[in-house]
Order: sequence, then C-alpha cells, then structure tokens
Amino acid sequence: MPRVDARAKVTGEAKYAADIEVPNMLWGAVKRSPYPHARILNIDTSKAERLPGVRAVVTGKDFGGFKWGWSRETRDEEPLAVNKVRYLYEGVAAVAAIDEDIAEEACDLIEVEYESLPGVFDPFEAMKEGAPLVHEDHPGNICVDYHWSFGDVEKSFSESYLVREDTFQTPRMAKGYIEPPAIVAYWPDANHLTVHAAKGSPYFPYRILSGCFKLPLSNVRIIQTFVGADFGGTKNDMVNGDFSAAMLAKKTGQPVKVQYSQFDELTVCLRRHPMWITIKTGVTKDGKLKAVQTRVISDGGAYTRMSPLSNYLTGCCMTLPYHLENFKTDITCYFTNNPNSAAMRGHGMYHTRFAADVQMDMIAEELGIDPVEMRLRNTIKNPKPGKIYQTVNELTVATCGVEECIEKAAKAIHWKERKRKVEGDKAYGIGFAAGAYLSGAKLSGHNACAAIVRICEDGSVNLLTGATDVGQGSDTVMSALTAEVLGITLKDVDLKRVDTAHTPVDPGTYGSRVTVLAGEATINAAKDAKQQLLEVAAKEFGVKPEELEIKNKRAFVKTNPQMSIPWERLVRMACYNAPGMVIIGKGQSSRGVTRYRLADFTKGVGDAGTNYSFTAYAQEVEVDLETGVAKCTDNSVIAHDCGFPLNPPAVDTQVVGGSYHPGVGAALYCEFKMDHGLTLNPNLVDYKLPRAYEAPMTEVIHVITNDPFGPFGAKEASEGSTCTAPPAVINAIHAATGVWIKDLPAQPEKLFWAMKKKKEEEK
Amino acid sequence: MKGEPKEIRLIVNGKVYELRVKPKTLLNDVLRKDLKLTGTKRGCLESTCGVCTVILDKKAVRSCSILAVQANGHEITTIEGLAEGDKLHPIQEAFVNHGAIECGFCIPGRVMMAKALLDENPDPTREEVRIAMQGVLCADVGYVKQIEAVEIAAEKMRGGE
Amino acid sequence: MKDFEYMAPKTVKEALSLLSQYQNETKIIAGGQSMLVVMRQGLLAPEYVIDIKALSELDYIKYDEGEGLRIGALTTHRDIEKSPVIMKRFRVLSEMERNLATIQTRNWGTIGGNLCHGDPAGDPAPIFIVLNAKLKLISQGKERIIEMENFSKDMLEVDLHPGEMLSEIQIGNPKPHTGVAHEKLMVMQGDAGIVGAAVSITLKSGNGICEDARIAVSNAASVPLRAKEAEKRLVGKTITPPLLDEVCQVASQEADPPADVHGSAEYRKEMIKVFVRRAAAKALERAKEG
Repeated sequence: MPRVDARAKVTGEAKYAADIEVPNMLWGAVKRSPYPHARILNIDTSKAERLPGVRAVVTGKDFGGFKWGWSRETRDEEPLAVNKVRYLYEGVAAVAAIDEDIAEEACDLIEVEYESLPGVFDPFEAMKEGAPLVHEDHPGNICVDYHWSFGDVEKSFSESYLVREDTFQTPRMAKGYIEPPAIVAYWPDANHLTVHAAKGSPYFPYRILSGCFKLPLSNVRIIQTFVGADFGGTKNDMVNGDFSAAMLAKKTGQPVKVQYSQFDELTVCLRRHPMWITIKTGVTKDGKLKAVQTRVISDGGAYTRMSPLSNYLTGCCMTLPYHLENFKTDITCYFTNNPNSAAMRGHGMYHTRFAADVQMDMIAEELGIDPVEMRLRNTIKNPKPGKIYQTVNELTVATCGVEECIEKAAKAIHWKERKRKVEGDKAYGIGFAAGAYLSGAKLSGHNACAAIVRICEDGSVNLLTGATDVGQGSDTVMSALTAEVLGITLKDVDLKRVDTAHTPVDPGTYGSRVTVLAGEATINAAKDAKQQLLEVAAKEFGVKPEELEIKNKRAFVKTNPQMSIPWERLVRMACYNAPGMVIIGKGQSSRGVTRYRLADFTKGVGDAGTNYSFTAYAQEVEVDLETGVAKCTDNSVIAHDCGFPLNPPAVDTQVVGGSYHPGVGAALYCEFKMDHGLTLNPNLVDYKLPRAYEAPMTEVIHVITNDPFGPFGAKEASEGSTCTAPPAVINAIHAATGVWIKDLPAQPEKLFWAMKKKKEEEK
Repeated sequence: MKGEPKEIRLIVNGKVYELRVKPKTLLNDVLRKDLKLTGTKRGCLESTCGVCTVILDKKAVRSCSILAVQANGHEITTIEGLAEGDKLHPIQEAFVNHGAIECGFCIPGRVMMAKALLDENPDPTREEVRIAMQGVLCADVGYVKQIEAVEIAAEKMRGGE
Repeated sequence: MKDFEYMAPKTVKEALSLLSQYQNETKIIAGGQSMLVVMRQGLLAPEYVIDIKALSELDYIKYDEGEGLRIGALTTHRDIEKSPVIMKRFRVLSEMERNLATIQTRNWGTIGGNLCHGDPAGDPAPIFIVLNAKLKLISQGKERIIEMENFSKDMLEVDLHPGEMLSEIQIGNPKPHTGVAHEKLMVMQGDAGIVGAAVSITLKSGNGICEDARIAVSNAASVPLRAKEAEKRLVGKTITPPLLDEVCQVASQEADPPADVHGSAEYRKEMIKVFVRRAAAKALERAKEG
C-alpha cells in the first residue's frame, strides 16, 4: 500500500516549512551567545534598529518573564535568554528585516555585554563538590534523580554463580534529520497567531505559544507543513527561532520567517543524552538472570526539556525482554553547559539495552554458553491468549514474540554454522541482540487523542486527526483504518493535514504512539460515523442496525445480502432525506489513559506504554584488522514482533531505517566531539552521519502476535530495532576481533588501539 | 561594483528565464526564491547533505555549491521537471511503490541523482548505485529501499518489468 | 557571504589581463567546490572574483606517446574519472577520482581548483607528485613550469605568484615496468583520507630490482609529504615484504601528521605505515605486470 503522501513528496509539490512563503514576509535571524555560560549584563540594540531594512529587534525581556518546559514542574527555559546563557550559541536577541543578509548583519550590530562564568561540561564535572551551578535552584546540578528497587538484588547476587560488573558509554548524538527547523509566523489580527512550522507534535507548541503570548488555545493556530523527520522532538519542542518569529511578527505586523541552517541544528538543537551505564548482573550456572543493577549517569545539557522521561525510560523496560525478578537502578541526570539533550529514536531504552545485551554476551563467553542459547533461556514466553505477563515493575505484556524473533533471526543468519572468518586483513564476525520497546507511550499529563470522520454528501470522506506523520507513514495507516472500518477504499478517504484550528488535539509523534493510540481514535470515529449510516439503512430495510454491514462500498443485511444499497446512495439518502443529516463521527483513544494507571516515574512502576514490541537482530561486521575500520555487511537480519504489520512494506522501512541511522550510527559512526561546550564537528561530514554505501541490505522478518491492545493487533515498529543494533554490532566486532568496545561509537582509532592492546596482552 | 547584479539566462525544465542576480546568489536560492521551484530543498548549505541536488547539463550537481551566475546559459532540470503531467517518471514511480519514501526531504535530490545516474549508465551495478546514493544523505529510510528502487527503475527504463 | 565584484572573462587571455589588473583582493573561482564553503563561512571575502569555469580552452585531456598526458586545469574530476585514455594509461588517477568526495562535487569541481586549494588532505596532489607531474603556471605574457612536489608551500598555500594561474598538468609517460597505486583510509566511501598514500615503483626489467621509487602521503604534514628517506631504502633493492615494512616505518617517521576529530597524530602515524605498504604492494604488483 503506497503512502498517501508519497506522490506529493516525489514530485516536489510537498511543502516543508522552509518552502512556505507568504506575502509581505520578513526574514528573521537569531543573535547567539559566544559563551557557554555567562551572565547577560546589557544588550544594546540601537545600532541594529537603525540599519536600513530592519523592521524590529527583540530580546529576552520582551517575553515578560515567560518560561516553558516539557512539564509544568520543569519550566526553566526562556524564549530568548534574559539574565543568563547556559549553552554556547543560546539565543539572546532576534531581528526581522527585509532580507536574510540584512537580518544577519543587524544581528552582528547588536552589542551584548557578558560576564563569562565558569562552566561544567560533563556530568562528572557537574557533580563535583563546589562545581559551578547551571541553575541556581538545582543544587549539585541534578536534573533528574530516580532510585528504584524491585525484589532483592543483594541477596540474588550473593546466590549467583557468576556476578559481573561493566561500565558502558553511549555517545552524544545529533538527531540526524536533514531538514533544519524553520517557521513562518504571522498574526491575522492582534488576538490570533498563526504559525507554519515543522513540528512533530503541533500541540506542544500550541500550548507553549498560548502561554507565551497569553492567548486562548483556540486562537493559536499551528498549521502542519510536511515535516522532514523528527525522531522524537526538537520538532516538538520549541527553538529560539520559533519564539523570535512569533514575537517579531507581533512587533512588525508582518509575517516573519526564520530558517535554521544545518550548522544551527548541529550546534544548538537537541541531542541524544550521552550516558554512562554501570551494569552489574548475576546469573545462575546455566546463564539464567538472577539480578540486574544499573547505575546510569546522563548529561542533560542546559535545560530540563524531556530529561525526566528520557531517563525514566532507561530503567522502566529493563525487565523486558528477559525474565527478571530482581532489579535495582539509580539514575541521575545532570545539568551541564552543553546544548540540551532530549528524546531520540530508541528513547532511553537504547542506552541500557546496549549495555545489557553486550554484557550478556560477555557473561555467555565466561560461562561457555552460546549467546543465542543464553538469550533463549531467559526470554519471556508469549502469554497465552487472554493471559498477561506482568514484570516486577508492573509492565503489562499481553503478547511477547521475542522467542520466535530470536529463533527466526538466528536461523536466517545461519547462526549455528557461523565461524569467525579472516580474509587477508579483514575479519568477519556475527553478533546478536534482542530487545523490547514500548508502543503507545503513556506520558504523564495530557495524553488523550481523538479523530473526526466527516462523510461528505457524495460519499467522499474527510479524516481529521491530530496525529502527525513525520515520515513514518501514519497518514496512510490512519486513512487505511478509516477505509477498512467504513467498508470503502483508501482512495475515498482524504486526510486533512494537522491544523490546530480544525484537527483535534493529539500529543503527537512521540513514543511510538501514533499507530496504536491515534489508530484507535480513528477506528472509533469511523465506527461512530458508520453507526449513523447504518441507522439510516436500518430504517430503510426495516431491520436493526446490528444486522447490517458495509463492505466493498455496499451496505447490506448480513443474513440477506441481496438487501443492499451502494455506499454513495446510502450517504445521499442520509444527507438529503428530510430533514437531512450531517454525518460526523468522533472517536477518542482511551487506551492511553484509562486502562492502566500512569507510570510512576519516581517508583519506576506502571506501564510506560500500551503494549510492547520485541526485536531480535543479527548482524555480520567486517573489521579491517590493520586500521580498525568496521563495517556492516549485507549479512543482516531483523526479526520484529510488531503485533500485526498494518502496512508491511512501511514496517520494513521503519525497522531497517530505525536500526541503521540511530542504531548502527551510534555503534560505529556518530559522536559530537566537544571542547568546553564548543562542538568541534558541527557538519555532516565531520559528524559522520550514516550513508548509503555502508548500509546493510537487511532482511526483515515479521513475527505476528496480534496484540489485543493495539488497533488490529498492532504494536510499534522501528524503535525496537534502534535498541538492538548497537549491541548486535558490538557483539559482532567482538566475534571478529576478540575485543569488547564498551564506549560507543567503535570508531576506527578506538578499535585499532584496543586490538593492539589485546595483541600485546596476549604476548 | 561590488554586488552589482548580473543578467543571466537559465533554462530550467525546458523554460527560459531571464534574471538579474547578485553574484553571490546561490543557484539554490534562485530556483527556490525567484523561480518558486521549492521542490529542490535547502539543506545544509555547506556541500554535505545533497538535498539541493539538481541536474545541470545532464550532470548531478549541488545547487548550494554553484553560484547562479555560473549557471548562466546552462540547462537545469529540477524535480518539478520530471513528471509529464500526471504521469510520474519511472524513478518517481519506483520510489513511491517500493516504500522508499518516508519524510521525503531527501527525495527530490535523491531522485535527481538517480536520474543523472541512469541517463548516463542505464545498467549500473549495485556498487554504482550505492556510490550515487552516497551523495545524498537520508536520516530515516536506511537507504535499502532507495537503492532497490533505483534498481527497479533502471530495469523498467531498460524495457523490463 | 559578502558581496563581491564578479567578472567572467571569455578567454584565457582576458582572464590573465584581469588577474594582472586586480592582483590583490582577487580570487579565481573555477568549480568553487572548495572555495564556496569557506566563503559561506565568512573565512574568505575577496573584493573581486574572476570566474574561469567557462573557459573551455583549459578543459581538455590530451595524450600522445611522446609528450604523455596533459590535463587542462579546468577539467572536472568526473571527466578524469571517466576518461578512457586515463583509465587505460594512468588508471591510478581514475581510481582516485572514484573515491573523491561525491559525484556532485566531481561533476563541477576541477582538478586545477583542487590543486590550487592546497589542502594537504587532498588526494590528487600526492599522486601527481609520484607521477612526477609538472605544472604550467601562466600569467600575462609569461609562463613557468614547476614540479608538482614544489607547488605546496604550506597548508592551503601554493606557489602562485600574483597574477598567475594554473593552466595545465603535465605527466610524462612512465618508464616501462612502472606501477602506481593510491590507497587512503576512509571510514565511509568518499571520505577525505584520514591519511592517504601514493606510491610509484619502477623496476629494472629482467631482474626485478627497484630502479625508482616515489612515495607521497596526504594528511601527513602541512603539505603533501614526499617520503624521500623511505624512497631511498627501496632504490637498488629487490622489494620484499620485510623491506616494505622497514620502508613504511621510515615513511611514518618522516611524517608530522595533524590531530583532529578523525584521528590523533599517533594513529595517523600508524596508518601511514599501513597505507604506504598497501600502496607500495599494489604498485609493485602493477610494476611486475609491466
């Protein structure tokens, strides 16, 4: 089923935020701080204001003390910095001018007096006694601090045959999307704000802008453009340029456009948290897990943003995919004077899954057990229909296909027959990993979502949903679900792009929730509209609505299909027979909120998602023994349990893309190198974004478990593969070279010295 | 005189345009702002991502890395010039049908890269397809479907099915 | 990017006249694939830009048995990559081009632009050095020929006098039993080499003794480095693997490579050993094939 938006994208018709142009538009530019940590003493905008072509200049003070954040308790960030800057290039002022050049020139003319302050640039500096504070009201620079305990890990360790402790590290990563943020903002009148922006979740900016400009929500209109990928925020959240554009538009009375460059994106926008994970695991003699204890330290950057959730997710799913009765974790996220950290594909879980699944191979080696066999001894079995598996931290699992995933992936890669190969200077090894990922994320706070189905008089159907398609294909899935329920074809359904003036609220593309939660809302809306039609048909045939069905654009009596009426006629009848009807179906998703209680971040208890996907990944790696360059080969298999693949080709692409860019990227290529808050490699060549030549042609195997809590049995697809790629690749490197790389990425120099060291130790 | 606009003549998608541009103007800006052809994307602006790729005289080039004045007198094809009315080019069709498109941001540049490749080399090896795709970055598809889509299109264009 | 005055001469003669007129504050632009990046970053802001890209007079690849190969400075990388005569007779150049940046860069960027940019990480310069290439530099009414290995003076600085521009690269026919190879350390295809090595080996026919050896390394110093001490160890000897190991050690010692996000100086020194050996082994193999 080709995506409904594919044509617009392939012809160039699709408009992304930077493509939007409106009459009378001005260009905005943001002035940025040259210090990573400094007090702002004074800003003089007079020279900038006098430059011909400049229409307005704004500073942080113009926002009247407004602060925003991901949740009510964490509103610590300003639209433009007012008293202090906390990361390099943080925005302090902005200019609107008649063209981009003048706007930038004007920025240069803004004179800012700073008092540079000492800063902290990693969690270890941040946690030191007497370290400079990023936020005065956060002693110890602590952003997030969780301590959970389930069962009795100490007792279990003492009873374990083998206990092992290792420390792993995940890198500071760019989101990697190729479209830099852009926005066009204007005020149709003094009380209404309209914004075209690349937002993965327009409803976050909608609330934030409402608070910022003190407008009722109904007056804030975010019109969704096509979005060049998101991967969990930046494009949900706001950037300095967004607030600047809106304020400049207010001041000038003209539309203002702000376009970030890729350099901006790579220096000031959100990054994946770098994390340091110490994991201690105790096992029985035959490799069964007895207890796991983790200590996670992460770098949250300058502001809180989504760190509470990101860090929560590192622990909450450690009890999947293997049966684990004793689990303890201490998670601390620190503020530093670095750009903000936030969500990225494989959110939170990928860090600890990497550590756990590599350590599992280390333990298997020590015990002399095959790594796949060891995993199979620990996997949670698929609950029988109607039954539930509950983890010690109260995750509710109705379907778990990980055992089948592991078996199928192992078979497809010919795991049993594998041998370490050496051909000239190249060595080959195969690595394995398994993992789980939540879908239908149940966030705290406003989590509801809804859909509206409108049936037009000619039988064509509008679908309005707040769910955003940032590339994952949800538009197509939502449209297909609507068509399926109504008994019509995909062509008959027209999905309206998200526009907060018309589409119902939705938390957005986030936590793999769109298919599951927005899908449910869409199905309910379609059912509601269908029911209205069936009632009309029922009157016509003298039967009860329950006796009718609609399929292949025909409504018919189930027990007597000859009694039928074509779709278009039924709709016309409903609309025009006096007094006429307007057919609007509405539906909500309740799964996200009512079925289980919300997860408790402080205790680590409760469902983080509606259901859970499972993945197994087998990857062969080629290592150049002389240089340390490692590369994935085409010998690559992912077996993924997404419940039921609603659109199999789309699932394939999601799974492969989810494993390669953020997964293999983390394992082999991607890392921001920093020097006291300065990004040393802020371009897509020095920051090695994964490319086509090195991409493995991965085979995807679907494992079907039909989850009762997902629409048509579906669970998420794609973040699971993100979590399994890094351990599979690192385990493969070990198979090829005998070396364990515990701090990602396994860049050539790192692997080279590690191999050299091993050779010397062996002598 | 510094910055004095120059008269240039561009043939874009078969149409002739007479324009006056400042010398420092990039071809990418002329296409998007002056000619309103926003199908070609504005990406990194520093010659790394390739989403700005267009075809100039049958060769794939980065429009962010060519001054508009240098394109004077040359023939340029952008993504908008590929489909014939409603009929998609085989490369576009292959991308649509094979699930090679997700967010779509890299697609115009990628399709133009593929077109330049297949027009010059109708039967490329997989290695050659990979090398062509190396010039345009993607962040979500994983490249596999895109490489396959180019091969599918190549076969169709050679007369296969 | 700052504004500049733009001139597009129609002939080489006109270009040279403009160059001599606007000697300071002037930059020549050919493909601009290196230059535009630094101009956009604001690191380069010339008052005058002379655009020579359209001068077809300097866009050619000529070969004859007597003179050898002559490449016009405005020949694109892609044309070198695809040239049948280069693939046949100087295949190392075509192989190098295949891995140079991306196709888009190669389609518009020129070999002259690349050499004049003077990046010690660049691939073409070390190869031209081992091929014993000469460069023709022209200015109004004058011309001079210099050796490729003397062209680079410092990082991003080449021996171009005011008013001068590069017009041609001349490569004489190699002696019989000469093999040339180039290898570079890439993480991804198309990367600039973390290090790179070009080696040319000429054997005395019959007895397989090395008559001449030239080794040049990229990203090993502030200019393309010719590893002369290493070369000396090869000349007059039969090349064996232990000898190659020794030679690579020496080449590595001659280098003073940079440290950056892609590698430390120490790592580069180790890699210089690896890549000089790989290139030398391949060059030797090709020399033996005749």
